[in-house]
Amino acid sequence: MTDHQIMSDVRNGYVEKLAILFERHYVSLFNYFLRLTGNREVSEDLVQDVFTRILKYRATYQGEDRYIVWMFKIARNAHIDALRRRKEALPLDEQLAEPADAEPLPEDRLEREQDSALVSKALGLLPPRKQEILVLSRFQHMKYREIAELLDCPVGTVKAMIHRAVAELGEIYAALTREKCHDM
Amino acid sequence: MTCDDARAHLPDFLTGELSAKAKSSVDAHLAACGACAEEFHKVSETWMKLGVLPVEQPSAALRDRFYTMLEAYKEGLDARTADRKAEKAFSIREFFSWKRPAFRFAAAAALLFVGLAGGLFVGRSGAFNEKFARLERQVDDMRQTTALSLLRQPSSSERLLGVSYSEQMRAPGEQTLTALFRILDTDPSVNVRLAVVDALFLFAKDNRVKDGLVASLGRQESPLVQVALIDLLTEAREQKAVDALKALIADDKIHPDVREKAKQGVKNLTS
Repeated sequence: MTDHQIMSDVRNGYVEKLAILFERHYVSLFNYFLRLTGNREVSEDLVQDVFTRILKYRATYQGEDRYIVWMFKIARNAHIDALRRRKEALPLDEQLAEPADAEPLPEDRLEREQDSALVSKALGLLPPRKQEILVLSRFQHMKYREIAELLDCPVGTVKAMIHRAVAELGEIYAALTREKCHDM
Repeated sequence: MTCDDARAHLPDFLTGELSAKAKSSVDAHLAACGACAEEFHKVSETWMKLGVLPVEQPSAALRDRFYTMLEAYKEGLDARTADRKAEKAFSIREFFSWKRPAFRFAAAAALLFVGLAGGLFVGRSGAFNEKFARLERQVDDMRQTTALSLLRQPSSSERLLGVSYSEQMRAPGEQTLTALFRILDTDPSVNVRLAVVDALFLFAKDNRVKDGLVASLGRQESPLVQVALIDLLTEAREQKAVDALKALIADDKIHPDVREKAKQGVKNLTS
């Protein structure tokens, strides 16, 4: 059964079928939020919020959009609402805080994890729009056409933003790498 | 194929969506153009680098919470369906009649509670809001200072970080705006100028920002920055941009893609 058929059933009252959509998409949604917020707890809350909203607004599902685009529209709104509630209340030093040190790791794994932390930090420093567009394309594997539909802008704008986002990410990553070498 | 044509194919190149014909044209261009080959290499490397981020698994608690929520929703739905059936056999009008002493008492108690709670809330929320607003201003001031300091750095990466900080402000101050526009007009790095365009998009409702963007359009020489500015001004529905766009269209030296974009912009803004 396709996502669209299942969601149509949910809309028509078979709400228990939402469990199938949850199982199909919760990990992907969790990773989407995790790339944008960098916080596991907040990301889990947002996934829960998305499925609660899907139930609340199930009657509005028309199936004109692909289900995945509709679901990510809800996910974006949940994230924007959460940002409004949290962002300004968070002091700057806390926003820039380094993650707490964990126990020592083997050297190769340590290097891999440090690299991954650096990429993640660079991604977090991108402007929100570019960060989001990159996450949707690179990690959610959405087509440019779908992203354009989701963000309500021309496909050309999405492509130009991707180009600029990756170029800027490269520069930020290089700056962070230099900073790290300088600190050592 | 020109350098701009090749770069326009870069996003499809990254996701492997380039047609065979376009790919061979791009490959031929990259073999002949060192600057484009370097840019494609750098951007592809960053794109691949993102692959080091692992797919994370949420905790088991998330599934538990979802199934609890779904079950509760289903029970609520079933209960509402049963209630609707029951309502047919019971007159609501009769139940809520003012003649029933119990209802009169409950309504009075509810009104008293709303009055008291409202008074308490208004009293407390005033002081809280003031404290919260003061904290917001402090955080914003810190952001402005950090952004301004980074925007003055000689390294383009540092300036990019500065642009990133200025995006996080609720409203940039006069000094930050001046610094951003100076960078937009004069920065030697196209990437930094493009980042400024994106940052200013967030504040495009501010008339100072709109006017500055329109003025900057005539000063830009890079087609990439011109296109980004046209996109922004069109999306912001800025009518004052129409004259600046017409001037671009009339300019003989302008890149054909920019002229085309400017024509679309005029069409969108005047339709």
